[in-house]
Amino acid sequence: MSETSFFRRRWVRWATIVVVVVALIVLPLVLPEFANQTIARIGVFAVAVLGLNVVMGYTGQVSLGQIFFVGLGAYITAYGVTHDWNIIVVFILAFVGPAVVGLLIALAAARLGGLAIAMVTIALPIVGVPLAKRLSDVTGGSQGLSAQFSDVPDWMPFTMYDDQWQLYIVILVTAIVFLLTRNLVHGRYGRAFAIVKGNEAVASSMGISPYWYKVIAFTVASLIGGVAGFLYMVVIQYTSPETLSFAHSISLLAAMVIGGAASIVGSLLGGAYYVLVPQLTNIVDPNSTALLQGAILLIVLFVLPGGLVSLPRVLTRLARRRSGDDRGRTPQTTPITEPDPAAVTEGNPTERQGHA
Amino acid sequence: MGTFIQLVVDGLSTGSIYAALALAIVLVNQATGLVNFAQGGMAVLSAYIAWWLTGVGVPLILAILITVVVSFVMGAVIERYLMRRFERGDPDTAVVVTIGLLTLITGLCGWLWTYNNLQFASLFSLNTIQIAGASISVRSLGTIVVIVVMMVLLQALFLGTKLGLALRAVAVNPQSASFSGLPVGRLLMVGWGLAAVLGAVAGALVAPQLSLTPGMMDTALVYALAAVILGGISSPIGVVVAAWLIGVLENLAAVYVPFIGYDLKVAVPFILIFVVLIVRPQGLFGRKSVVRV
Repeated sequence: MSETSFFRRRWVRWATIVVVVVALIVLPLVLPEFANQTIARIGVFAVAVLGLNVVMGYTGQVSLGQIFFVGLGAYITAYGVTHDWNIIVVFILAFVGPAVVGLLIALAAARLGGLAIAMVTIALPIVGVPLAKRLSDVTGGSQGLSAQFSDVPDWMPFTMYDDQWQLYIVILVTAIVFLLTRNLVHGRYGRAFAIVKGNEAVASSMGISPYWYKVIAFTVASLIGGVAGFLYMVVIQYTSPETLSFAHSISLLAAMVIGGAASIVGSLLGGAYYVLVPQLTNIVDPNSTALLQGAILLIVLFVLPGGLVSLPRVLTRLARRRSGDDRGRTPQTTPITEPDPAAVTEGNPTERQGHA
Repeated sequence: MGTFIQLVVDGLSTGSIYAALALAIVLVNQATGLVNFAQGGMAVLSAYIAWWLTGVGVPLILAILITVVVSFVMGAVIERYLMRRFERGDPDTAVVVTIGLLTLITGLCGWLWTYNNLQFASLFSLNTIQIAGASISVRSLGTIVVIVVMMVLLQALFLGTKLGLALRAVAVNPQSASFSGLPVGRLLMVGWGLAAVLGAVAGALVAPQLSLTPGMMDTALVYALAAVILGGISSPIGVVVAAWLIGVLENLAAVYVPFIGYDLKVAVPFILIFVVLIVRPQGLFGRKSVVRV
């Protein structure tokens, strides 16, 4: 446990934060264009995965429709920009719109539990694609909409390339969304989500309405999805019905589990997985990308069922076993069937709290 | 009237395909509690195997029978060596594993046999017969008959044999079944094998119509899931009725409701689901599942 306590020391934490912030400010200026674009796309999908994590990882409601809200945010952004609306207004609409739609769907869907909520959400991308094609006056039909609004603004005092400017926007917005979401899931709401995920009957008996917390989680997830949609337009500058296809929604779900469910860091890793693995498989062999992606997904889950975020834990356990030192309890040898009330109320430092 | 009957029969025929896939999903779900997104992908792989067999000179009907056996083994092997590891863990992870399996199988089919459309010989003649002024295709009728026969056989297996009794016991309570000396692991393999067989038959029946591609069953899988929810996941008969209902309704809506048309007909089952679930959250025929606190 020595390395964990090292990371818990106050000055180490602050130093890490400072190093990360400096790196995020300097890196876009020194990296090549391709790297900047890749990092920006990782940011976009990390936000989308984070939203999915709020409803699925933390609250335990399977959502197969997250990509719909990303697409909706992207379409609203594209529509607003092509109609010369103020960019701040566009940004606000890009997440308020999906949040309202998400709220309306959640009001109906949260009455259902388990598989049924998955099926209602599966409908969103499935119906969304033909609908986007049909409403061609607004969405541009199969052609899609493109909007260039993320070039370096004129008031910039020093010269900068477009990709650097876009990456800065993505980093700033992503950081804010991650920070706010971290506070949400570590606070009162997060504890309520964990109890709803663990056992709805227990939640009701504690005065926590499973219905309303499911609605809240779903709405927050849609809102974050809308932000991801805005960022998507910042980076990719083009959206079409293909953006919200069911295949993408499934990939997003896979990315969330691969990164690590109910984990903030896991969302970042999931975003990286979503963007990097297709690029990697394309380099290896363009003819068998699907084959390789499926194989990678299965191998990762076989080795790390808890996702990439559990890698340090697994390594520590392996190292401890090798050195024959079995001090302290080995975590998770028995499946936890009930959320541990003590862990929930005291704010257990591990992020997989209340996990049933 | 002729068109109407034609639409209904064709709807029942596509509905039968959804029903076979939906039953496979129910079979796996009742035994293991997870939804297998790779069920359609496995069906496509079976169809490719049948296609390959006909390519090397095996008669079609024999090729399909061999494929059925191969599919059974494939399903059992997937359960034993892939899913077994995830069955007691986080259900979300297990679902994502089936998604990975779907990607892998689709990729495998594309890699081995390319993503181009392949022609799959039809088991039934492409002629039509005249009934009450409507020309009904023999293929649609044949598809319906084969699937109904499959369902009757399956029902007989589950209700009339010792194996079926054991399978039902595992579905109800794996721990108790294990305590009474049933080989739960092997029975789960049988369950997955039977599900793969259902998929294989559906794949072989639908392949001539859609022409064989690695993504052939993707839409069918979505409809099958819709049927599973609409019928109630605990009720096999309900699922089959729901699948037929979906097949017929979407066909009728595509033709008779102008706004829906061919491209938006995929929305029909989901509007139906939305309405039904709000009124009856357990599905049309499902039992309300009671969870002990």
